[in-house]
Amino acid sequence: MTLQTVAAAEPFVPPKARKEVARRAVFYALMLVIAAIFFVPFLWTIMTSFKTIPDAVNVTSLPHPWTTSAWHTVWTQDHFPTYIKNSLFLAAVIVVCNIFLAGLGGYAFARLRFPGRDLLFLLVLGTLMVPDQLRLIPIFVMMVNWGLYGHFESYILINLVTATNLFFMRQYFLTIPKDFEEAAKLDGAGYFKTFWRVMLPLALPAMSALIILQFQGTWNDFFWPLILFGQGDTSHYTIQLGLAEYLFQYSSYVPQVMVGSILAIVPVLIIFLAFQRYFVSGVVSSGVKG
Amino acid sequence: MTKRLAMVLGLVALAVALVAASAQAGHKTHKVTEVTVAGWSSGGDEDNLLQQVINVFNKTHPSVHATLQIINTNYGDAMTARFAAHNPPDVFYVDSYVAGAWEKQKVLQPLNGYIKKSHYNTKKFYPKLLGAFMHGKTIYGFPKDWSPLATETNNGLFAKAGIRKAPKTWAQLKSDAKTLQQHGVAHPICLSPDWARMLAFIYQNGGSIKNVQSKASAQAVNFYVGLLKSGLAATSSQLGDGWCGQALGDGHSAIIFEGNWLLPYMKSTYPNVKYGVSPMVKGKVRGNLAFTVSYSMSTFTKNKQAAWTLLSWLEGKKGERLWMSKGLALSPRSDVKTIGGRAPFLASAPYSHGWGFGNPNFNAAYTVMSNDITAVIKGDKTVQQMLADVAAALKGQ
Amino acid sequence: MMATSATGAAPARLGFRSTMVGARLREAGWGYGFALVPIAVFGLFFIYPFIYAVYISFFHWGILGKQAGGHGTFNYSKVLHDPIFHTALKTIAEYTVVVVPLELALGLSLALLINQQIRGRNFFRSAFYFPSIASSVAITTIALYIFAANGLFNQIIGGNKAWFADADTVLWSIVGLNAWTTSGTVMLFYLAALQTIPNDVYEAAAVDGTGAWRTFWRITFPLLKPAHFFCLVVFGIGALKLFDQAFIASNGTGGPNYATTTPIFYIYNEAFHNYDFGVAAAAGVIYFVIIFFLTVVQRLTVGRQEAA
Repeated sequence: MTLQTVAAAEPFVPPKARKEVARRAVFYALMLVIAAIFFVPFLWTIMTSFKTIPDAVNVTSLPHPWTTSAWHTVWTQDHFPTYIKNSLFLAAVIVVCNIFLAGLGGYAFARLRFPGRDLLFLLVLGTLMVPDQLRLIPIFVMMVNWGLYGHFESYILINLVTATNLFFMRQYFLTIPKDFEEAAKLDGAGYFKTFWRVMLPLALPAMSALIILQFQGTWNDFFWPLILFGQGDTSHYTIQLGLAEYLFQYSSYVPQVMVGSILAIVPVLIIFLAFQRYFVSGVVSSGVKG
Repeated sequence: MTKRLAMVLGLVALAVALVAASAQAGHKTHKVTEVTVAGWSSGGDEDNLLQQVINVFNKTHPSVHATLQIINTNYGDAMTARFAAHNPPDVFYVDSYVAGAWEKQKVLQPLNGYIKKSHYNTKKFYPKLLGAFMHGKTIYGFPKDWSPLATETNNGLFAKAGIRKAPKTWAQLKSDAKTLQQHGVAHPICLSPDWARMLAFIYQNGGSIKNVQSKASAQAVNFYVGLLKSGLAATSSQLGDGWCGQALGDGHSAIIFEGNWLLPYMKSTYPNVKYGVSPMVKGKVRGNLAFTVSYSMSTFTKNKQAAWTLLSWLEGKKGERLWMSKGLALSPRSDVKTIGGRAPFLASAPYSHGWGFGNPNFNAAYTVMSNDITAVIKGDKTVQQMLADVAAALKGQ
Repeated sequence: MMATSATGAAPARLGFRSTMVGARLREAGWGYGFALVPIAVFGLFFIYPFIYAVYISFFHWGILGKQAGGHGTFNYSKVLHDPIFHTALKTIAEYTVVVVPLELALGLSLALLINQQIRGRNFFRSAFYFPSIASSVAITTIALYIFAANGLFNQIIGGNKAWFADADTVLWSIVGLNAWTTSGTVMLFYLAALQTIPNDVYEAAAVDGTGAWRTFWRITFPLLKPAHFFCLVVFGIGALKLFDQAFIASNGTGGPNYATTTPIFYIYNEAFHNYDFGVAAAAGVIYFVIIFFLTVVQRLTVGRQEAA
């Protein structure tokens, strides 16, 4: 009976399967269309960056002539290399500080017992609710009083460690089985050694996600750099500040502005492509806990 | 994965080290008195000229070294931040429409003492302009230049429409615009939704900023807004341009009202477009606005004497002569000549009214003005409502 | 070397260190030590500024600091009676009420698409998440050009509207922009939530002969409730804090006609344009209370949901 059915089914493609293929084709087409729509603005930006200023008015046509003059101008005349250098510097320093401090703090809140721990943790979470603009003026005045206004130190200080990162590391440490610490204790390791040699390495996936997310956060930050060192001394500008100023002043130099935008996006894109897996898992697990 | 991560961290550390090293290398030390001077700039030409002027000062004043900072993003906000930080530049631009507010906030240094001590001759400054930076008898800054508005027309479009001369009156403005429309220019006039342009028309109808709710003022506003509503005029964003200067250059509009700053812009951005500059149109009377900026000193300056040396030189004959050399603006001193070709602007001096002169609430009121005029053009607010809002804001309410 | 030592003999010989109390104190010490710098940072740059801001809000405070006039609630009164602040609240409410459902719908749709067994899943996930990684400055800059009166968008769909310059459309243009750039992040959250739904559920529905649409509405959607609430409030609070795009699109003016004046922009503008730091602080405190209230709502709702 079965053999007959199978033999009969082979050459004949049932209508359901054909519908399935068609459905799949439509599905993939839809996905590609959506992806294309998502990419179009960036492709257009790249395309426009290779145009001359007069040609940039022709928004729907390809560059004619193709020129790298906008790239050349931005790179050599418009301080963008300085901006990129500044952004990289800040991102690097802040990421390193956050890994260390959020790791330490996160571990403490996850695994060490000390009086008032839970209350303090709630306070830490509470800081998430204070909007930047509310603490704007007090921090501004504080930085002035300490003589740090206009210097990178001010921005680094307020970003040494963020509540989100600490929370994130704590959540991750909570998921690590206690066996590791107990083994370390057996070996006679003190608290710091346990943290540094055992726990932190175990938290590598969380750390990777933190690196990427904090890099993105610092690189993309506009508000605090604007307030703390974005008022005139362009030697200190980050790329986002540089781009904003460029937009405000030279909005008619379209190709150059496009170059600036690309430069403002590319580094994060590179990091994203290289570490996609951690990126995604980082965003998700940092948020799912609420 | 550990290896990759370690590599990334290593690269990060390397980047940090490299950057820190290069940052250190960039530091210099000076033995002379350092003074910072700040202003904004409309483009490369102005940047260069400013730097040139500062360089000449530095060469001729070995004991004072001035460093120039150009602040282009929201100059006003930036300066506020720096005042609040007690850390502004020593010498800086002050736009006349915020001068009153900054004086009130006590961030500008009164200069009378320095003027007396160095026997500085203030009589050569045009009194109306100097008055913008005075409160009673106290002088807070000197005008470094000024500009009124004028009527600029696109020669090509005018020739096509067969109009020979630029419009001189409101009536001519309307009829010329209609003719231009018939010859293919959709919106011949470019008007900014900005009191910094419309106020000139208010003065031309006999109104004034001090009596903003008068019938004359309301009439003028209706005229201005009416041009926009009828299609004879359009705003620069409606024309797809950044400002009316751009609209003139790319031929989207044939008649605009801008100040002397248009000239360097056209030279650099639209060098091949032929355009004409004529005196500002006339309503019932002649009326125009005077925009001016001063050099002032801050009350926080640590080197007040050195700052005064810089300020007085910049404002003196030598400094102003240099600044006037490229024709970026008009001379504020009777003993320094403006570059040639600026007659239409200079002619309005007698009837130009200061923009924001003397009112400490002008800065805040300007926000109300800007937002309300957009509403009126849209039809969301009546002219009377806007004038009431503006009058209240000017009083500080 | 303690595996077999009994509780009896050891304490007397090893002394303080190995007693329970001693160990606890040591642990507490290390705990505080580890948490010290983070706590200091939060205290110094969040708690203290917040208290200071509340202090400022009760005085006349100009560029140079406290001004004459004593203390009182005049700043709060000014803010609460300011029609511009009312407009700002209305604006942000309109914005939030539209952008959040839009973001969630888009994100959920994308997540549903990606959640199938498809080839090139990573590619599509990257493509859909890509707009989220661009900075607000960069993406707003690009949008300003694409949606200019003579920009690419108008060339495609026709017309001449200056989407980001027109008072009527600028807010909705920002809605569209932010919904697009946030949908990628929302997608990731929904993806994670979708992946917690066991396959049996879908199989059971298939066996019952339920169609795809009904399966979604009657089964999948309700099962995503925790994710709904979480996203609703997290992205809602994010929407309430709108500043960057409004600032850049309006060239720092908050216009045209106050269309881009959000409460956060209002705070900034009062301080930096009207030189009234007292009013700015008062507005900040008022808005903090609003956000705090909504966050408490989240904790209660999500907490209850997760418990259920």
